[in-house]
Amino acid sequence: MMLEKEFTITNKNGMHARPAAQFVKHASQFQCEIWMEKDDEQVNGKSIMGLMMLAAARGETVKLTAEGADAEKAMKDLGDLIETGFGDVE
Amino acid sequence: MSSIPHKVRRPGFITVGQFFQENQGPLKLKLIGENAGSLRKIQEPSINRPGLALSGFFDYFAFKRVQVIGNSELAFLEGLDKNARLRRYEALCGWDIPCIVVARGRIVPEDLIQAANKAGISVYQTSMVTMKFINLATMRLDWAFSPSTTAHGSMVDVQGIGVLIAGPSGSGKSESVIGLLQRGASLVADDAVRLRLSEEREVVGSSPDITRSKIEVRGLGILDVARLFGVGSVRLSKRLDLIVHLRVGIELHELERVGAEVRTEDILGLPIPSVDLPVAPGRDISGLIELAALNFKLKAFGYDSAADFNETLLKKMANDQLG
Repeated sequence: MMLEKEFTITNKNGMHARPAAQFVKHASQFQCEIWMEKDDEQVNGKSIMGLMMLAAARGETVKLTAEGADAEKAMKDLGDLIETGFGDVE
Repeated sequence: MSSIPHKVRRPGFITVGQFFQENQGPLKLKLIGENAGSLRKIQEPSINRPGLALSGFFDYFAFKRVQVIGNSELAFLEGLDKNARLRRYEALCGWDIPCIVVARGRIVPEDLIQAANKAGISVYQTSMVTMKFINLATMRLDWAFSPSTTAHGSMVDVQGIGVLIAGPSGSGKSESVIGLLQRGASLVADDAVRLRLSEEREVVGSSPDITRSKIEVRGLGILDVARLFGVGSVRLSKRLDLIVHLRVGIELHELERVGAEVRTEDILGLPIPSVDLPVAPGRDISGLIELAALNFKLKAFGYDSAADFNETLLKKMANDQLG
């Protein structure tokens, strides 16, 4: 199964080291492939370096792609994480 | 065997502002007059000399390209009277051209600046000789328009061979990079590599600015390679020669045992040689990657260990049969 959805970064300082680490921690719990995309640049959602390279700032839109058996669960969990500002990290 | 998934970017245009930002140094560009048209699009990666257009002939006018005015165009214009000249400028600027560059550091005619700025077109001056400017600008535009992608993997320069280490998260890519750095290799990029097709004949890897010289090692966090290993341990860019896939839990029968077959995979349209290395406790992955790179180098020099061995074997069998 492959799912795609767009999300807006809401936490104050954007996706810097700690939010990226949070995201990777969550993403790594799933078996499916996870990709994050911004401005045509697509990186692996289980890679901290990849996510930080996107430098997704507050207010910017990223596209998540999940492919695999647990894609639906992953998309829900990771979407919530982004929308709640990565668990209140600044 | 899966290859590296990659999403290819093919820019259909770049803006004049982008072009100026990225090239003002190398192309010795200076903005003259107002910054009137920095959002205009350059839609073709080449340069046009608008000599014929300035003389009034607009059939086949390559207006999508950067327009360069050199000595001959200026000499022609100087021969016209003031009003005629102004009309030529206005005719040129009536087209949807991206920008105008005056070469050789020649003073840009005041009328031209006004006509262009009025039409929302920026005018630049370069101190370069026209032909030199055209050559270099074409190369740099070609680079800006070339297809590129971001690959999940780490890239190192091992004894002059550009190796992309690919594999799933947790397969030990970064750890093997550390091992290679300790053996004298240098880092191009960790975990996310920008790959770009250069002149349709090679793929060049580099790191995004923000993660350059950084590497993430599980348990240790983000480390700075240049500070830890010295600045010589970091390369800004390197041609991609070989892809090494780290395979976790792979079955023995799936692996290449002789090394006689050269497998390649498609990266940005070019076939790049690739090998699989099974990851297992006790295997020195860094050492094996270095070996793969050296063996690739040997093949590039014209020596193929596997083919050579097989030939010797075939010869021996043929002799035995005769005797």
